[in-house]
Amino acid sequence: MKVPFAIAAALLSMIVGLPASAHHSFAAEFDASKAIRVSGTLTKIDWANPHIYFYLDVKEDGGNVVKWSCEAGSPGALSRRGFKKGDLKLGDTLIVDGYRAKDGSRLMDARRVTLPDGRVVSGASVGDGGPGSQNQ
Amino acid sequence: MLRLYIASILLVAFSEPLAAQDNPLTVVDVKSAKPRPTPRMSDGHPDLSGYWKGTRDTVPGGNIAKDLPGLKLPLTAAGEAALQHNLTATIDPESLCIIGGIPRHNASGLPFEILQGAKKVAFLYWYSYYRLIPIDAKRKHTEDPDPSFFGEEIGRWEGDALVIDSIGFKDEKVWIDENANPHSDALHVVERWTRPDADHIHVETLIEDPKFYTKSFKYSRTWVLGKPDEEIQEYSCSENNVDKDHLGFGPGPIRPDGTRGYLDPAPLPPPVQKPPANK
Repeated sequence: MKVPFAIAAALLSMIVGLPASAHHSFAAEFDASKAIRVSGTLTKIDWANPHIYFYLDVKEDGGNVVKWSCEAGSPGALSRRGFKKGDLKLGDTLIVDGYRAKDGSRLMDARRVTLPDGRVVSGASVGDGGPGSQNQ
Repeated sequence: MLRLYIASILLVAFSEPLAAQDNPLTVVDVKSAKPRPTPRMSDGHPDLSGYWKGTRDTVPGGNIAKDLPGLKLPLTAAGEAALQHNLTATIDPESLCIIGGIPRHNASGLPFEILQGAKKVAFLYWYSYYRLIPIDAKRKHTEDPDPSFFGEEIGRWEGDALVIDSIGFKDEKVWIDENANPHSDALHVVERWTRPDADHIHVETLIEDPKFYTKSFKYSRTWVLGKPDEEIQEYSCSENNVDKDHLGFGPGPIRPDGTRGYLDPAPLPPPVQKPPANK
């Protein structure tokens, strides 16, 4: 694939070198080589600072149900981009794409959340240096 | 290699949901041909009050060495040892809800707010932190100030510049910036705040720390005035700090451009074509 230089340069400038600002560095907690998708039933929501968390019951291939913790940005940052607390309803099935914690626990950075109505919302933390943090 | 790098960036960029961003935390600084004049207090001094947002011109963000050639800090041997300690044995204090202090807050991408009076000026930060600085040209630093994250701060006017002179800093549980660079209790910070027009505020920061740095260095930055209805919101850092038990030491990898983060993140799975049906 040939990428026109101007486009590549513009994208590079979008992605790198933006002011860092998050509560913690993405790279201090998550492994950018472990991009994963988790789908499960929403069992708990903590819409609070410094990061919101929501929790899923996820059925594994063998039928076992395991709990996943999903971290997203701060309430203020999410609301500002149109991701509201009311978008999450207990019992909903969510598809969450993101990166797994470096410590191997069932904790992930919820970069992209697909809601039952098909809407896709960004859960990325503001300026944490993680993939796509240029969009906050 | 470059082609692979650009391709991975394209993948990541286009795989992210582009959320609506009416009020992003950082903005593009669009210069006006006719800037609005600097607002002034009744005593004639500039009024620095406002909600201030960082600009995309501040690169690399979060790095106190931003203005130094090669992003190279003049570390002493003790400073280098302190940096290695921060990188390998400390969790980012800010992620543990410890005050970032100065000069770190000046390098942050988060907006801040200033409320100025004739005798005092308040800086209000994200995380519900603040610093309150007396403006008094006659005031002197105390003999042995209690160590603090913002230090013992004294303000004075030099022409149109509000100069804040600070000593008496902590030497533990502090990073001088987002990248885990160190400072000691010998830190001396002199900030010169100016408001060249209504929509911009600027700081020139002199940083001296003879324990950890062989010479003083500067950090300069400009912010843009936010919208009239923007202001600092409540933010209780320790309310739900689940991730404190999952954080590793240091900020993680630092990219060649001086920002924290991975150079080559794996792309997310392709976007979902069909919404998840509720069970």
